[in-house]
Amino acid sequence: MKKTILISVMLLFVAALGFNLANASTDQPHVYINPGHGGHSSDDRNVPIYPYAQGDTMGFWESNSNMYKCFALREILWKKGYKVTVSRETNTEDDDLALSTIVRLCNNSGADVFYSIHSNATGQGEGARVNFPMGFFRGYTDQPENPQCKVLTEKLAPFIIGNECTVWSSPNYQVWGDWNFQPSWGTQGYGVLRGNKTNAMLDEGSFHDYYPETYRLINKDYCWVEGFNFSRGADSFFGISGKLTTGVVMGNVRDDRRPREGILVMYGADKRQPVNGALVKLIDGEGTVVQTYTTDNNFNGIFVFKYVNPGTYNVEISNPEYETKTVQIEVKADDATYMNVDMKRVRNTPPAVVSYSPVWKEGDAPVKCNEPLVFQFNWDMDVDATEAALTITPKVDGTVKWEDTNYRMIFTPTDAYDVNTEYTVTLKKSAKHGGGVEMPEDFTFKFKTADRNHIYPLAVFPADGDQVHFKAGAFMEFRTAHLLNAYNLSSYFHVYDKAGNQLDFSKRAIKNNKAGDAYGYCKLPLLKALVPGEEYRFVVDKTLCDTIGLQLEAGKEYKFTAVDAGEAKDGTVVADFEAVADYQLIERDCANPSTAKLTAVTDKLFGSKAIQVAYTFANYDPSGVVEFRMTKPSAEKFNVGDQLGAHVWGDMGYNTLCAVFSDENGAEVLEPLGAVNFHGWKYITKKLSALEAGKAYQFVGYRLRKGSDTEAPFGLSGTMKFDNVLKASTSGINDMNQVSHVTVGPNPASDYIVAAADALIEKVELFNTKGQLVAANGANFVNVADMASGMYVLKVYVSGQVSTHKVMVMH
Amino acid sequence: MKKTLLTLVGGLALVASAQQVTVTSNTRLLKGVEGPAYYPVLNSTGSQLLFASGESYGLKMYDFADNVVSRISDEMGAGIDASFSANGDVYYVTQKMGDNRLIYRTGMRYDNATAKSEVVLEAQHGYVRPELGTRANGFKGAKKSFAPAKGLGTAVCVQGSVLYITKNGVTKEYTPVPSYAGYLWASLSPDGKKVAFFAAGKGIVVTDLNGKVLSMLGKYEMPCWYNNDYIVAQNAKDDGHQFTSSQIMLIKADGTFKTNLTSETSMSMQPTAAAGKIVYTTIDGLLYQMTININE
Repeated sequence: MKKTILISVMLLFVAALGFNLANASTDQPHVYINPGHGGHSSDDRNVPIYPYAQGDTMGFWESNSNMYKCFALREILWKKGYKVTVSRETNTEDDDLALSTIVRLCNNSGADVFYSIHSNATGQGEGARVNFPMGFFRGYTDQPENPQCKVLTEKLAPFIIGNECTVWSSPNYQVWGDWNFQPSWGTQGYGVLRGNKTNAMLDEGSFHDYYPETYRLINKDYCWVEGFNFSRGADSFFGISGKLTTGVVMGNVRDDRRPREGILVMYGADKRQPVNGALVKLIDGEGTVVQTYTTDNNFNGIFVFKYVNPGTYNVEISNPEYETKTVQIEVKADDATYMNVDMKRVRNTPPAVVSYSPVWKEGDAPVKCNEPLVFQFNWDMDVDATEAALTITPKVDGTVKWEDTNYRMIFTPTDAYDVNTEYTVTLKKSAKHGGGVEMPEDFTFKFKTADRNHIYPLAVFPADGDQVHFKAGAFMEFRTAHLLNAYNLSSYFHVYDKAGNQLDFSKRAIKNNKAGDAYGYCKLPLLKALVPGEEYRFVVDKTLCDTIGLQLEAGKEYKFTAVDAGEAKDGTVVADFEAVADYQLIERDCANPSTAKLTAVTDKLFGSKAIQVAYTFANYDPSGVVEFRMTKPSAEKFNVGDQLGAHVWGDMGYNTLCAVFSDENGAEVLEPLGAVNFHGWKYITKKLSALEAGKAYQFVGYRLRKGSDTEAPFGLSGTMKFDNVLKASTSGINDMNQVSHVTVGPNPASDYIVAAADALIEKVELFNTKGQLVAANGANFVNVADMASGMYVLKVYVSGQVSTHKVMVMH
Repeated sequence: MKKTLLTLVGGLALVASAQQVTVTSNTRLLKGVEGPAYYPVLNSTGSQLLFASGESYGLKMYDFADNVVSRISDEMGAGIDASFSANGDVYYVTQKMGDNRLIYRTGMRYDNATAKSEVVLEAQHGYVRPELGTRANGFKGAKKSFAPAKGLGTAVCVQGSVLYITKNGVTKEYTPVPSYAGYLWASLSPDGKKVAFFAAGKGIVVTDLNGKVLSMLGKYEMPCWYNNDYIVAQNAKDDGHQFTSSQIMLIKADGTFKTNLTSETSMSMQPTAAAGKIVYTTIDGLLYQMTININE
């Protein structure tokens, strides 16, 4: 009886057990894994890194690393008793399934959880690279379509961010609703989350365009550990534990000192070289080597030991170039043990300078004044100790840069050495290599510098106080005696308005000096028009340098004012420069055959045309002349003391421009208007002084003579333009002989207009637009309370000069 | 000889592509009445339309004659993969999550006459998929399935990489083309003589009722029968993250002709067709009804 009862109980127990087991086996969690992208095609992500060329499928492709992670996750989930389905098994175009297909396959599979495995990219320049993990679910971050999807993402987060063998640029796993993350997509979101009925998320495990991570992601075992971490995220979501009785060890072997080079952005320990070919042994408590791993040749230093029984182990890392190192670790079941190992190189000789620069001895040509000092060592050096050991006499400020993984030290003077000076450079024996051993003795050398250590401006427009015609395209130009380094040359020049806003140049129209030019220059047209009456600054950076790297002694700043050179003026037009036929060209000592040419052009100030004169002198000799005469001069007569008003478009050729006058007998007189030291349109006024008193003259044309009082090699050829010439009213409103640093305000004014200057103001005069004097005061102000509203001209007399200003009276 | 054959094949292709397809109307449906609508499904007479009122939630039915929208279910995912049965009843699947975070799916039938839903297949873990029959619909489940008492008639269903075809009460399994990832979107032609389904990695496949491949139509998705000779399908492209283009295609079931009915940039998707009517939605859930004319 007892036996029967016992059997019955046992049968019941077995039946119950069988039922539970059946339930357990059939209700196993089902995970659908989608390794993102695929097929090494256009919708895949390839990052070419040495030694893999673009498109090399052995190099980094996101489809590869996603698949490695996927296979690892499947393998581990199977061991943990999960049911697993994956969306692709290989990496071909056929397996690169469309997004709707992946979602429907997942829905049809009956899965509980969907993981889409990806890595991220900034999609920006190398300077912007970052590295941190992100997880996405469908919906808004605070309003998921399915709240469990957010839970799934949050459950995964600590295991992904917990990877200590990468270097994160940010310490947090970012959790996002895809509608928030990609707001420009509306509620389109990520295609694999759209219509996905499971608990679904998409993980961007790290940034694959952060190059140290790119190299790690090539390593399948590194990806395997991410798959392992996914499995822990799944366990956490389902509340499962203890399914894996073994643990994982992952480490990163790096040089303890030598910097990693060739990558612009690196964080933390990634700044040091990973060690390729390091042999790593996992040794149990009894001294038995249970696993070995050799770090690969892909510059990641990664080693991984999978399925390690829990316990205490020694990890021994060796490489012929390094001192062998042993680290004790503890391995726990279903857990990851991370260890990063810094290896010390074997350095068995003292440090020494194996070459240096500049090598100079008495009698040699002098060294240019910005020559860097270069030391090449036999070992990677202790940066701090070696920099501290460097002395230069006389003392020079500068910066030290290290290259070739600290085998090469380069000192560059901040500005320049003194000219014609002998310098002594000493590297004291306290300089050490990375192993801490000092040099056996001091190392010393000398050099002598050349006779120039800076560049200097030769000509500039606009210079301080200059006026610039306001129209778009106004040229700024800076010239130096030596050719400027043309690389990115325009970046050293800036124009700012009064509020400090930087104005843009028309980049495509910028002109730089080129090899063979007689002087250095950069000519920069402004993209947009200036505001007449406003003050601007033309700024040149100190770091502007010539072709041998010598810089300006100091930065330059030139204040200038925008004007409208074409505004209406009082006076009689004596030449309108509308038609070429009205002028005759005369050349002397110009290029042979002649290249001078008169052309009617539409870049004008008045009427419909202006006359352009193109010229080429034969040489720099001042006998060169280009002249053009009116075939029918105006009957208007000029006398000495009259005012000539000339509208001239200058080419900064520094040639001398004269107005030509003729008396009734044909005797000619030249009235010099000055050197053409400006660009663009300018209204030049000249009180005529060369004419003979008592005689009447006609304006008959212009003469351009080669050269001026500057000896600079400018203006051998060029182009000028001319528009209306006036017999100007002497009290006219456009006298351009302004005095610098005179300010007038308020403008508009209702009671007083006050002038201020950096010298004594003798008097002020106010003229109406007809040129009539309407008010004057022997002080710096004028009362306009009773004046009619409108435009006036205020003349400010300062130290024998006059400054003219348009002012508005408004009541 | 080879040259002659090539010329002959080329000539046939030219004749085939010389067919003229004209879109005779394309109008918005339920404009101003409904918000975004997805996963449209027409009944066999084209008089009623199922759709999901939200992308993940609910199932609604629009009656063209009455111009009335009825609410069938508010359950999550009910509108995805819903179907009409031959008598007009609606079969759909709802799901709930257990305390263990496993998903349990239930087969539901909505009686179009009484406007009431009932459970026809109790909740179970794993997949529950509709099985479309000429007589009635059923459900294929991971553990238990459901077939109506009167039988399915001729029916098709896919699960994994297997095509199930039921004839005369006998269900047979077929694997007409290899597909690692699986089969999707199986349907019978209106005359019940052909099957169209999608094989992941291969595209749309048309077979006879014995699983014999009649044609392979290319890598388009979501095939549905326009009539016994033509299929409409979705042609979507993506960059691995999001859709970059999507359009509706018309493809002859023998593979000799295809044309697009909407442009690539229309982002039109999820077509359904019946009784000369095509309905599709857009990526932002705008429903359209289209009619076409085919001159052969």
